[in-house]
This record gives sequence, C-alpha cells and structure tokens, in this order.
Amino acid sequence: MPDWREEIKTRLAQLSIEPAHESEIVEELAQHLDDVYQSAMAQGLSEHEARQIALQQLADANSLPNELKRVQKPFREAPVPGGTGRTNLLPDFMQDLRYAIRLQRKNPGFTIVALIALALGIGANTAIFSVVNTVLLRPLPYKDPERLVMVWEDASKVGYPRDTPAAANFVDWRDQSTVFEGMAAIADESFNLTGAGDPERLEGRRVSANLFPLLGVDPQLGRTFTPAEDQPGSNRVVLMSYALWQRRFGGDNSIIGKPLNLNGETYTVVGVMPARFQFPSSDDDLWVPIAFTAEEAANRNRHYLQVVGRLKPSAGLEQAQTEMTTIAARLQQQYPQSNADLGAAVTSLHEHLVGDIKPALLILLGAVGLVLLIACANVANLLLARAAVRQKEIAVRVALGARRWRLIRQFLTESVLLSTLGGIVGLGIAYGGLILLKAFIPENISQAREISMDLKVLGFTFLVSVLTGLIFGLAPALQAARFNQTETLKEGGRDSATGSSGKRIRGLLVMSEVAVSLVLLIGAGLLINSFLRLRNLDPGFRADNLLTMKVVLPEPKYEEFERRTQFYNDLVQRIEGLAGVKSAAVTTNLPLYRQGNSIGISIEGRPAPPPGQENIVVTRIVSPKYFDTMSIPFLSGRQLTDHDINTSPRVVVISETMARRYWPNEDPVGKRIGAGRIQRPEDWIQVIGVVKDVRQFELTAEPRPQMYLSYRQAGFFEPRDLVVKTDVDPTSLAATVRKAVWEIDKDQPVSNIKTMEEILLDSIARQRFSMLLLAIFAAVALVLAAVGIYGVMSYSVAQRTHEIGIRMALGAQTGAVLKLAVSYGLKLVIAGIAIGLIAAFALTRVMSTLLFGVTATDPMTFTLISLLLVCVAALASYIPARRATKVNPIIALRYE
Amino acid sequence: MPHIGSRMLDRELKKGSAELLILSLVEDQPRHGYDIGALIERRSKGTLKFNVASLYPLLYRLEKRGWIQGRWVEKPGQRRRRYYRLTASGKKVLAAQRNSWREFVEAIRQITGIEHA
Repeated sequence: MPDWREEIKTRLAQLSIEPAHESEIVEELAQHLDDVYQSAMAQGLSEHEARQIALQQLADANSLPNELKRVQKPFREAPVPGGTGRTNLLPDFMQDLRYAIRLQRKNPGFTIVALIALALGIGANTAIFSVVNTVLLRPLPYKDPERLVMVWEDASKVGYPRDTPAAANFVDWRDQSTVFEGMAAIADESFNLTGAGDPERLEGRRVSANLFPLLGVDPQLGRTFTPAEDQPGSNRVVLMSYALWQRRFGGDNSIIGKPLNLNGETYTVVGVMPARFQFPSSDDDLWVPIAFTAEEAANRNRHYLQVVGRLKPSAGLEQAQTEMTTIAARLQQQYPQSNADLGAAVTSLHEHLVGDIKPALLILLGAVGLVLLIACANVANLLLARAAVRQKEIAVRVALGARRWRLIRQFLTESVLLSTLGGIVGLGIAYGGLILLKAFIPENISQAREISMDLKVLGFTFLVSVLTGLIFGLAPALQAARFNQTETLKEGGRDSATGSSGKRIRGLLVMSEVAVSLVLLIGAGLLINSFLRLRNLDPGFRADNLLTMKVVLPEPKYEEFERRTQFYNDLVQRIEGLAGVKSAAVTTNLPLYRQGNSIGISIEGRPAPPPGQENIVVTRIVSPKYFDTMSIPFLSGRQLTDHDINTSPRVVVISETMARRYWPNEDPVGKRIGAGRIQRPEDWIQVIGVVKDVRQFELTAEPRPQMYLSYRQAGFFEPRDLVVKTDVDPTSLAATVRKAVWEIDKDQPVSNIKTMEEILLDSIARQRFSMLLLAIFAAVALVLAAVGIYGVMSYSVAQRTHEIGIRMALGAQTGAVLKLAVSYGLKLVIAGIAIGLIAAFALTRVMSTLLFGVTATDPMTFTLISLLLVCVAALASYIPARRATKVNPIIALRYE
Repeated sequence: MPHIGSRMLDRELKKGSAELLILSLVEDQPRHGYDIGALIERRSKGTLKFNVASLYPLLYRLEKRGWIQGRWVEKPGQRRRRYYRLTASGKKVLAAQRNSWREFVEAIRQITGIEHA
C-alpha cells in the first residue's frame, strides 16, 4: 500500500502545528486514504487508478491547509491521555488526583518524610494562628467593641504616661466630655467571703453601675446594677462570676436575692454574669457598685481607678484624645495643686488588653511562617529528586501529546494533594500543640482561656496548605516541563534534574533553608540570651525556700489599728514557732506582684517640691523580720525591731537608690522625712538603715526609691501578704501555715498560696512563653534544614558515585574524596549563612522590645549561632560523603 | 434534491448542511472519519461527497466547538482509529439545527412546490 504520509505532510508544512498534533492528523488522514485505496482496489481498479482516487481526496495542494486554517487555532489542546480543552478541567483534575494518590501509595517512604515536614510546618502555623486569631483578631465579647476605650491620666512628668485616674478627675471627665456615650470607673477590691463553708478570699471590683450596659453585656441570671444602687448606703448588692456560682453555689438558680457575707457585711446577690465574661481580668469573681462617697468623689490625690468609655458612633479615638486633652488642661488650671502636669490619654480597649503580647505573637507568627518555608524547601528538594526519577514517564506523556501546562497541572495536583494531607495531619499537631501552648501562655493575657480552633482557623489551614503545595510544587513542575524529550528517551540519557539546572535549584533551596534557619536560630538565641539574663538578674532578695500567701484582714472586723497589730503579732509569732520555719514576716505587697503603694515624701530642711514634681517613693509596711526572711542585704544602719512601736519615735529603712537620690554623698542615717505633709513634729520619720534595692514591680524595670516602715508604727496601709522562710520544701508547709492562721481567726481567708520562686517565674511568664516557642520553632527549623542538607548531599554523592569510583581507582586518598564532597555542601551552607546573617541583621530589630540586656544585633549570639549551624551542616554533609569513600571502585565503575 | 444546477449553490448548501449531517451520523454511535464520509456518500446516493480536505477540518472545527469529541480507540488486531461521538452540547445543537432545517425545507417547498427531496 502506498505511504500517504509524505503527501499529507507537505500540505501541512505551511501551517505551524505542534509536531505531536501534526503527527496525529497525518495518521488519521492517512488511514482514510488507505481505506479509500483499499475500497477502490476491491472494486477491481488497478493500483495506479486506486492511488489516483485516493489522492483526489486531498484535492488541490491548497484545499487542506486552507480548510485547516479555518479551524481556528487547530488543536490547541491536544487529545492527550486525560482529555482536551478547557471543558475537561474537572475530569482532568480527577484523573490527576487519582494518579497522584496512586503515586503516593507507591512511595510510602517518600510520602511519610514529606508529610512529617509539612505537618510540622502547617501544624505550627495553625497553632500560632489560633492564638493570634483568638487574642488579636477575634473581636472582644462586647457590643461594638471597637468603640470601647480606656482613659488614663497622663503623668509622664513623674514617669507614668498611663496612670490610673483619681476619682474626682474621673467625675469631671465624665461630666464634661461629649464624645462618649458613657464612661465607667472600676476599682480593685477584694472580698473575704465567710458564712457557709471555708472562709475564702475573692478578687473583685467596685464598678460604676453603668459598666455592664456600657459594655453591652447581659447577666446570665438576674440583673445588673441600677443607678440608684450606685449611691453610698444603697450599694450592698453584688454580681458574681459564673465560675464562682458554679464552684461555690453549685449553679443554684435560687441564689438571686440571697444574702452573701463579704468583708463582714451582708450583700444581696442580684445577678450572675455569663461564663465568658471576664472584665477587666479573668480572676475577678465579684462586682459591687462603686458608689463614691462625697469625700472620695472629691479626691484628686489617690490614683486607683481604671476608666472605660464608649465612644459615640460619630467620634473617633483622635477626637476623644483631643477633647480629653482640653478637659485635662482645664483641670490643671483649676486644681494646680493636684493636677499640675497631669494630662489625659485615650487608648483603645483592645490595645490595652492585648498591646503587651502583640509584638511577641506577631513575631511568633512570622517565625512559624519561616519554619513552613523551610519545610517547603525540603519537600521541593524531595520532589525534584523524584522528578529526576520520573523523566521517562514525563517523556512518554509528552510523546503522547501532553502539553507543558498540562504537565505542570499534573505536578501541582500531586504537590497540593501532598500539602493538603500535610495540612490534615498538621491540624492534629496543632490541636496537641494548643493544649501544650495553653499551659505556657501567661494567664493574664486577654482571652487566653478562650483559645481554640474555629472556622477561621480551619480556613487559614486550608489556604496555607494549598499555598504551600503550590510553592513547593512549582519548582519541580517547571523543571519537569522544561526538559529535553529526545535526550531522555534515549537509553541512559542524563536526566536534566541532575544536570546543571537541577543542581542549581537544589543548591539554591539548600542555601535558602540555611539562611532562613539562621534567622530563626538567631532570633531564638537572642530570646534565650535575654531570658537567661532575666533569670540571673538579682531581684534584690532570695526567692528560694519562701512560702507566701495573702492574709487580708476584713476592714469592719479589724478596723482598729490595735486589733490589726495584735493579729499580725500573733500571726508572726505563731508561725515562727512551727517546725521547719526559719522566720516569718508580713508586708503590704510582695515584690513582682505588679502592685503596691507609693507616697510623696517631704525631706526635713528642704522646701516642698512644686506640684507635679513630688518625691514619689515606693512604700512597704512590713514586720521587722521582713529583711531577714527575704534575705534583703543590709548596707548600713540598724534594722526595724519589735521595740519600734507606735509610742516610740517613728523610723524608716530606705533603699540604696533612695539614699543616693535624696542624700548623694551624705549618710542618710539620722535624716528625717515626712510621709505627705507634716502636721505635727512627731510626724517626722527618722531614717535608721539602708538596704539593697529590690525589684518591686517587675524584674526588667530599674528600681525606684523605696522605703520600709513598721506595721506597728504606720497605719496608712495594711499588710496583706505573709511570707515564710523555711528549712524544708516550702510547699510542704502550706497546710500547716494556713491552719495556724485559722487558729487565730477561724473566719480569716487565706489565698494565693505560692512559693516566691513561682511568683518570680510568673513575672517573666511572657518572656518565657516567647522564648520557649521560638526556641522550639528554631529547633524544628534546624532539624529540617539538617535533613534538607543531608538529603541534597546524599543525592549529589549518589550521582557522583561513578566519578568518585574513578578517582579512587586512580589512587585518590579517602581524605581528598571527603574534602571534595564536603566542600560542595559547605560552600552552599556558608553562602546561606552569609545571606542569613544579612537578613537576621535586618529582621531581629523588630524584636528589640522583647529583648532584655542584649542588643538585637548581639555579636556573640550571631557568631555562636552561625558556628552551630556550620557544625550541623558539616555533619549533615559529612555522613553522605563518608559513605562515598566506602564505595568499592570496581562496583562504582560498573554502576551505570 | 437531484440536479441542483450551479456549483455555487451546491457548495453553499453543502456547507450549511454539513454540520447537521455529521452531528446526525454520530448521534447514535461513535464513528471514525472514513465511516462518516462513506455513510454520507452512500445515503445520499453519491450526491453529497466530502473529500479528506474538507471533511477532517470540519470534524476538527466541530470538536473545537465542543459539539463532538474525538478519541483514539484501539481494537484487537486493528490499527487505532479516531472515533467521534456527540457531546451533550452537541446534542442540543443537533436538535436546534434539525428544527431550523425542517422549517427551511418546509419554506422552500411552499415556495417552489418541490416535493420530497
């Protein structure tokens, strides 16, 4: 039979049809001509006649090409296995998916390694995003929360840019401002709950009656306060938290209207708040009306309120700030004594609640993003290696007419399938991670208890998974689509993924992995460094073997100074008599609890400072053994003793900073000061001793001037904290000490039983949280990078087995071969480290607020971490290289 | 329609009806190109003939529009052949074209008095 192909081809020559498709057209048309020829022969025509009839089918030379031209862009999408044009997107996808699933099943080892990397990366991202979502993104559980603000006194002049306002200022703000729908005040209050069961110490707040409508929160049960109840005399009503209601009253619905004995007085329960309600903090259990007395409402010197406001819909934060500044300026004029240099500051409630943790969370989110990038690089490397193995398969597909885009689509389907599976496993990891994370997250972070995965988190995970798949799948897909078909189809042809371009991509991936890991490791290194410095910081006392608890005397019962003093005398004496106790003391506030009192002092022989520039001194009322118990070193003078009582001259122990501040180059012992204004000569207090500074508020803040007075002499603040130095494990004495308290007063609550070590740790919980997480992520990054380097080195050594064999056969020493192999890996690593150092230099600045005692570009950390990475990388290159030297030259040469 | 005179009318009519003819032929079963060409010639008793140069471009065009779909099919002992089948959208087009062709033929008949083709 004649061959028509050449005849047809010449007619198609003027058209530019893809070779693969042209060959299909030729095949189809030639078959047709065969059929015509055969049918003519069957009718008895001669070969020549039959041939002529068949050729007539092609008509004149131009007919076929002209007609084909009319088929607009003939066969853009070829009928490859898997279908044709756009209309087949879905069936194509299903086919790709089925193929991808078969492929993963066939290579379980590959799949598992890739899945672990992806699941770690996606899981970490999901976990951190859950936290960010709950804490930063989810709106606060109040009505129109974006319109809620906090209003502060701005006392920047004396170091408090956001100070808690005094009641009289609050009242003026509330009455004079126009931008707010409402403004409510909140004051700390704690309650001794007595009556049924053990006496209990509960935290709560005095609040303006309009606080709840202002927040837009309804009670779970009963009602909130009426304006009438916000008046002294009619304010013996209380709202309780859901937690307290459940815990202490078993969720009894009939609690409404029942009496409750708080601080020795009877309150009526009017409502129970919903479980989610926590305002301002999660450990509040009771709310009572604030009901300012006339005296309180006129006081501009006691700064103790928190003020929350709701902006009118028309007003913005700036407008509010402007108006409050105006009002504050007016108050300065009106009350120069108390309000000099006192401004007002408005901040959003959200900012107030999450501002502290925001930078840490965003940095962690960035960090997990980097971990995921490393995981991507790893999987991309694996896929590249596999693509090299699959060159034959791709060649066959192309020969059958698969177009480049179609191949890319197939590869991307495979990688997205992989990353989606990784995402599913990652969700499991995130779920476990969140449980762990909730154990470490500082409790005082807003909404920390609410952290959970919601639809938004699932959406995030899905999106991240698909994106991840596209990112790590792109390089191998492009690589696969750009290879040389004929080369590959030849037996033994070198595949392109091992060629120069594949090697380049792989090298680039390793370099970026190293660079990104270095950034993470340096970040973690800086935080660890900061944390160690924090831990080694001298707080001014020794925290070991100290048991602490709150013993707050209820005011009505212990209103008289003598009765309180008697209680503390008995308490210290009784506890010091217990076995295992070295000494005991009481104080108004233990260090690092983030609260305490300060007073302005006057100094004998010096003029009173002008308003706004008072000598503010942190003040603690303690029992004499406080310094011994806390191991606060004495520098000069004498200690407080049991003989400093309210009939003897009043005395005070001051801190070294206070001594330096007010008596530079002088001995302060013997000098006299006054607490506030001096009315009578006996109000003067004599300095009798100097102790070392104690970090009172937080570990990171430089100590301010401090002074200590005896509880027997100073009645203006009452001690609330008991601290016990023990010979034994302090927690083992908790029950005994509590029992000793109850032996003195069976109704006296004891709460917050903690060791001083715990308080110290709690005070750096935020730092510990960011440090731990970033360290974990950096460790994951390091492992992933090491695996990546190892993988690439193994592959490159395997590719060079032949070459190494020849070298060894020609007499190369093991050392030389090792050097050859390791040096390639190290070159990549060092290039990666160089890039990483530059990036880290630029990036670590963003975390400078999280650092303590180190700069963001601490040379020590940068050097040590780089060295660590070089060592790990050298090891990861060395192991495969070592294997290469074990190659038997004969086998290596036979290896093709 | 025996003896339609001018070549031009012939070509235009063929072009107009060709799509309908092909869609009708692959309606019940997939057919390859030669089969389609041969059926047209046989059923029109030689009046309508398509050569390779016009038939295949037409098939490709219909395929391009998504009305038919070609697929290589291998049968035991035979060379593989490309079979065309009617797609779902092709079915709709065929129904529409049948209708308008029926109306067209009816209109011609009314005017010219030509009975059955």
